[in-house]
Amino acid sequence: MSSAVESFNRIRLIAGNTFLEAVRQKFFNSLLLISIALLASSTFFQQFDFGTSELKFITDFGFGALFFFGSILSITATTQLFFNEIENRTALTMLAKPIYKLEFLAGKFLGAHLLMLCFTVVISVVLAGMLFWRETELMAHLGDEFTGGRLIRYGDVFLFGFLQWMKFGILAAITLFVASFSNTNLYTIVVSFFMLIICQLQYIARDAYSSLEVGIGSWLVQVLGLVFPNFQLFNVGEQLVFGVKSGLSVVTTLQITGYGLVYTVAFILLAQLNFGRREI
Amino acid sequence: MTTPAIRIQGLTKDFAVGMRGVKLRAVDGLDLEIADNEIFGLLGPNGSGKSTTIKIILGLLDASKGQCGIYGKPSHTVEARKSVGFLPEAPYFYRYLSGRELVRFYARVCGVPRVSINEQVDSVIELVGMTEAAHRRVGTYSKGMLQRIGLAQALVHDPQLVILDEPTAGVDPLGAAAIADIVRELKLRGKTILLSSHLLAQIEGLCDRVAILHRGKLVREGRVDELVEDGQAESLVVEGLTAEGMVAVEKAICEQGGTLRRVEKPRLSLDTLFLNEVKQREASRQSIDAEEGGAS
Repeated sequence: MSSAVESFNRIRLIAGNTFLEAVRQKFFNSLLLISIALLASSTFFQQFDFGTSELKFITDFGFGALFFFGSILSITATTQLFFNEIENRTALTMLAKPIYKLEFLAGKFLGAHLLMLCFTVVISVVLAGMLFWRETELMAHLGDEFTGGRLIRYGDVFLFGFLQWMKFGILAAITLFVASFSNTNLYTIVVSFFMLIICQLQYIARDAYSSLEVGIGSWLVQVLGLVFPNFQLFNVGEQLVFGVKSGLSVVTTLQITGYGLVYTVAFILLAQLNFGRREI
Repeated sequence: MTTPAIRIQGLTKDFAVGMRGVKLRAVDGLDLEIADNEIFGLLGPNGSGKSTTIKIILGLLDASKGQCGIYGKPSHTVEARKSVGFLPEAPYFYRYLSGRELVRFYARVCGVPRVSINEQVDSVIELVGMTEAAHRRVGTYSKGMLQRIGLAQALVHDPQLVILDEPTAGVDPLGAAAIADIVRELKLRGKTILLSSHLLAQIEGLCDRVAILHRGKLVREGRVDELVEDGQAESLVVEGLTAEGMVAVEKAICEQGGTLRRVEKPRLSLDTLFLNEVKQREASRQSIDAEEGGAS
């Protein structure tokens, strides 16, 4: 068997085991249940809809819940899955086997990312189900307004879910990078949340400094813009779900996916740089 | 000349401590060679550098200076670790897996071929005496059982070198004796075993050679018999000697130019006494059970 296949197998095994460990954690199950409950109850929060239509409100609410709980889960689960291995010293047994540290990190990342895939799929299915139920009821009551058929493009719900999952991948990789030099759970979680906020809001800094002339300030903004991924690129909910045709072309979707993959791989490699030197 | 299982030359490990990075030397210029098919004991008090040395051998830590090789390959390489099985001190495994699942998982990580994996897993589980408990979750195991299943995971890919870090720490004398039996069995199968411990009584009857470390430095190294024997004295163990006979023996020793230093009753070690008593009771209980089973 070639070494690449052997390496892939080891990563797959570690990822599978990490995923198994993750789904058995109460935290994951609790967060998933809370998210589902919140989504299912979104129809009762209509007084906060600020004038938008009910279906749009449910969609925004669902996308918001996916982002909010998904970000929490991505950071905390990755941190916990990594530090469990260090604190319980199972990493010692694992790394004494003929495996590379990069394989270990990649396995941990993929296990966490698989967990996020489950979370994203479940939330997307629940959201699509909620929307379908409400739309069917509204069609029965207000048939005139649905002369062109259903308003919602359900595929877009899953497209949004996919792009969020890509974003959670970057977030998990960033968390792994922070964990690779951090000594505690808490530090990793706090710093990762700061990173999330920076990535989420970096477009504001870009806008503010876009008027800067070429100089150190402009150069600094450009560097920061490269170092921290721009999470706004993944927030395409406004362009999706409603309308005659999908607001996102295949090319754009692939570009965003590629952007996510590049940052994910880059942060995992940075994590490896630290973890390779780390004394277990 | 055969390649030694482990060759350590001038090994030094410094840890940076605190914000100022003050160096703490954990291992200091260690030279060691462990031959193939040998049981080698690494002895020393806590903080003497045993675990650090083992971690460097396993490639978990980088040496500050010096070299370390396993069967001629640099120890930090993945290739070298293919021939190594490791049982860490106070092992902790994935609690949600059963013993069999755990051993199977590590077998797959180590690349045991799919066709022989079941046979290999069953074989090591049987070797460590965990067949009956292999279906139970690791989280329900006692300390001794954890050590045994830890041994099983260390052996599942049939490594030539087995490294055991404090294998009997926290284990009762029966469990420790069982682990010692497994170590002897491994030697019979041609394996090399490096074990570290500070429980000297358990090591004494087990190791072919030992090295004693203190503050990271090698203090003594050699065959156990040579290290512990008193080269200046001989001992005679006699039975059924009367008081007059004793006087005669003492006189004869003096006439031959010797000195009788002391007369004492031969003693069993507490370990041996305990094991004998427990084994005796276990045997008699089994024979009673067998008789009752036969009668019914």
